[in-house]
Amino acid sequence: MTGYFKRKAEEYRTLDQADKRRFWVDGLLNNALYILMAAFIIFTAVVNKNFLSASSIANVVILAAASLPMALGIGGCIVLTGTDLSGGRVFGLTAAMAAAFLQNRMATKLIFERLPSTTGPWIFAVLVLVMLVGAIIGLVNGFFVAKFSLHPFIVTLATQLITYGVILMFFQINGNGGGPISNVAQEFKNVVSGPVIKIASKNVSIPWYVIYAFLLVIVMWFVWNKTTFGKNMFAVGSNAEAARVSGVNVFKTTVMVHTLAGALYGFAGFVEAARLGSITASTGLNNECDAIAACVIGGVSFVGGTGNIGGIVVGVFVLRIIFVALNMLGINPNLQFIIKGAIILAACSLDMRKYLVRK
Amino acid sequence: MSGEEKRPSSDVLGKPGGLYDSVHMTRRQANWMAMAAIALLVAVTALVVIFGRSGFTVSFDPNGGTDVAPCQVQYGDTVPAPDPPTREGYAFTGWYRDDNGSEPWDMAADTVTDSLTLYAGWEKTS
Repeated sequence: MTGYFKRKAEEYRTLDQADKRRFWVDGLLNNALYILMAAFIIFTAVVNKNFLSASSIANVVILAAASLPMALGIGGCIVLTGTDLSGGRVFGLTAAMAAAFLQNRMATKLIFERLPSTTGPWIFAVLVLVMLVGAIIGLVNGFFVAKFSLHPFIVTLATQLITYGVILMFFQINGNGGGPISNVAQEFKNVVSGPVIKIASKNVSIPWYVIYAFLLVIVMWFVWNKTTFGKNMFAVGSNAEAARVSGVNVFKTTVMVHTLAGALYGFAGFVEAARLGSITASTGLNNECDAIAACVIGGVSFVGGTGNIGGIVVGVFVLRIIFVALNMLGINPNLQFIIKGAIILAACSLDMRKYLVRK
Repeated sequence: MSGEEKRPSSDVLGKPGGLYDSVHMTRRQANWMAMAAIALLVAVTALVVIFGRSGFTVSFDPNGGTDVAPCQVQYGDTVPAPDPPTREGYAFTGWYRDDNGSEPWDMAADTVTDSLTLYAGWEKTS
């Protein structure tokens, strides 16, 4: 480690005046978001002492775990230089489906009257079902992107609207009239959002889905780094033409990345249904923006073919820390959208500058 | 770095690939873009933090008495005492953290650190 810094220092000394300035400007701008976040955390911790308490840190971890699956899914699409705008709505649809299929059978207002009782096998079947629904929407996205070279922005914007239409119709089933789907079965809540670790003295309770998110990160790390599919994904992302020439099936890879992303949104929706216990038609609105911002902050660049799972995890945490801090400062939740927008603009500008300058 | 390799500081950058494929700008422009975006982020965050602190919501659960409107309190401030609720056959004993009246909330000393609900305490009089 010291050898590395010594070498860097040697290199630095050989630079001339202009290059020395570039060194500092590049270093500052490439890490600007992290520097700003550190300043913001210190400010928040000074204003509100509770920000660094155990329960607040646990809260960040829990919120990050809930938004990790979507970011992991969308990360693949960004590696392919694309994006996925349908993510939030797929998330909303699958959350609504999971809630409707796993309602407490004893409740007075049910979306579906004749369903098996909410035991383990049925809960698992619903998980598979919602992931399948997500995967099918992802498949449609991937097919149009890969087959007809349509830009992912256009294709996923279209599926976003289509999915929203389906969501609105879903909330009309059985005379529900667009109201929220609530009364989620306790058995379902127990296995997803029930506590797995509890420290009563510190007011900390970690739900099961934190464990699931952790396992998902390991699985996705394996998929991205150790499988042919993962390697093909990066090859297609950095140069689709070169990948095609060297024998990579670009069509199949693109379709699979979008399908996998869809399945992960389905998983995220499943968790959300248990987490909130009440799903409305607007659940998941703009969630894809959070996921995209997390990926870009974490170094998954729109330049394509770069990024790693660790970066996505860092990005998700950075975003959650900022929002928990805003909450702790007592900021009106409506204003958080303004900050979100500014973060996305800054993250993308810095990312673009980084790759422009590197060339 | 030798003399031939060194580029002038206004060199045209571009064609990094991906979404940025059609971008052409100089290093100076790229730096300006990045700094403008950071300035916007800092300015927006500062404005939101200065003017957007609506504070935490303190709700009052009358626990059977007449309704009391919730109020907004900044971090570290005490809760301004609302007009006490009334209830037929009971006397109001103060506000509590829990609905069975075991943890009293001291209006003069206890400060707000998060959104919370206070519960009215009642003593039977008749």
